[in-house]
Amino acid sequence: MILIHPYAKTLQNGKQNPKNYPYWKELIGLISEEIIQIGVKGEEQLVPDFRKNLPIIELRQLIKDCRTWISVDSFFQHLAWSEGKPGIVLWSVSDPLIFGHAENINLLKDRATLTPNQFLWWDFTEYNLEAFTSPEEVLKCL
Amino acid sequence: MPKVLCSVATRGRYFTTLPLVLQAIINQTQLPDKLVIFDDNNEPNDMRKEMIYQYFFQMLNIKGVKWEWLYAEKKGQHHIHQQANRMGFDWVWRVDDDAIPESNVLEQLCSHIDTTVGAIGGSVLTMPNVFDISKSTGKIKDIDSEPNIQWSNINVTNEVEHLHCSFLYRAGIHDYNLGLSRVAHREETLFTYGIYQKKYKVLVVPNAITWHLKAKGGIRSETKQEMYAHDEQIFRNIVGLSNKTIVVLNSGLGDHIVFSRILSDIPNPVVFTCYPEIVPGRSIAEAQALFGNIDQYNIYGKMDQWKWKDSLENAYRKLYL
Repeated sequence: MILIHPYAKTLQNGKQNPKNYPYWKELIGLISEEIIQIGVKGEEQLVPDFRKNLPIIELRQLIKDCRTWISVDSFFQHLAWSEGKPGIVLWSVSDPLIFGHAENINLLKDRATLTPNQFLWWDFTEYNLEAFTSPEEVLKCL
Repeated sequence: MPKVLCSVATRGRYFTTLPLVLQAIINQTQLPDKLVIFDDNNEPNDMRKEMIYQYFFQMLNIKGVKWEWLYAEKKGQHHIHQQANRMGFDWVWRVDDDAIPESNVLEQLCSHIDTTVGAIGGSVLTMPNVFDISKSTGKIKDIDSEPNIQWSNINVTNEVEHLHCSFLYRAGIHDYNLGLSRVAHREETLFTYGIYQKKYKVLVVPNAITWHLKAKGGIRSETKQEMYAHDEQIFRNIVGLSNKTIVVLNSGLGDHIVFSRILSDIPNPVVFTCYPEIVPGRSIAEAQALFGNIDQYNIYGKMDQWKWKDSLENAYRKLYL
């Protein structure tokens, strides 16, 4: 079983978070294993098993039980790291050298897409469709 | 040579002690790289029109000292000093607008700079008072029971825990508490004690005398007692936790998870947290109430200030260890 955490925190300005991966549906279509989606109410459901608003203790248990996981840069990658379970992080504008963990596979297409100031609210960063790794490249790492 | 900024915060003293202070700065045996005058007057004047100030500005130009006259935000001198603290200089020499340094003061203070030192002060003599400091320790626990060591002639270099009035400090290693009121009561004590808590030496040194004239007016000319009481309470709250490492996690869930990796390395922590299920502790609202302002614990603000390239975990280590 694979866990996916597709969405970073909703922005205050209502725009799409620039860390959100745009090709989840294509990626999910390439994966033949059971997938459980982790997220919160209001996020788009991508697979039949979508578990919303789970308490931390249940998330920790799911992380223990999964083979691996795929996530955008969100709290989830830190939680899985703290549980000692390596996975794949899909990066775009935030810097994996600052916010990532070497134990994971950190997929960043090009450091040129990183936002110059890493420490402001993400509301000020434009969404860039070109910043993300293709689903085929992600699958190779899975 | 480290770059030194001289900052002067002024209010209500255009034609009393401020000209004496500027003259004294211009006559230093070691000049600062830049002088910034922060004008916190309610109705500021354009001092370029005043003859005596015209001469000061010409002298600074001739001596090659950059200078700037900035109109401050009228929030108090702690905001002014914090601005100076972040101006990109290695050291800041803060001089009150009624404190007249003798000509060797900056040179003497600078002669004690080394990598272990965070702040250096000399004598600050307030006439006609002469205090017996022979038993003063300069420790924060004795602040209510002893005269400040800087209130008399200092004969030997000593390590202390806090400084008063005018001193030289290493810029950017600690923030002024911006939660204090406009009178900024105890601001320099809190600031220098924070430098001491960050394991830098805080020194008082001989042969560096500043004459504190305590003229009418000044940056603390507010008279509202509740402002002093407010600031005193913040001071007491912080000093009351002096044997603890104050940790304020006003950030996201992921940040708490990363921080939790270093918690066990922090000596005697008292934690204020947004996610007690990840990092147990007291509430952020309580931290705000106790300390007045918690900006200095903002890990993202710190990483921005440090132009950080390393990991978030190591940023937390730099902030708290």
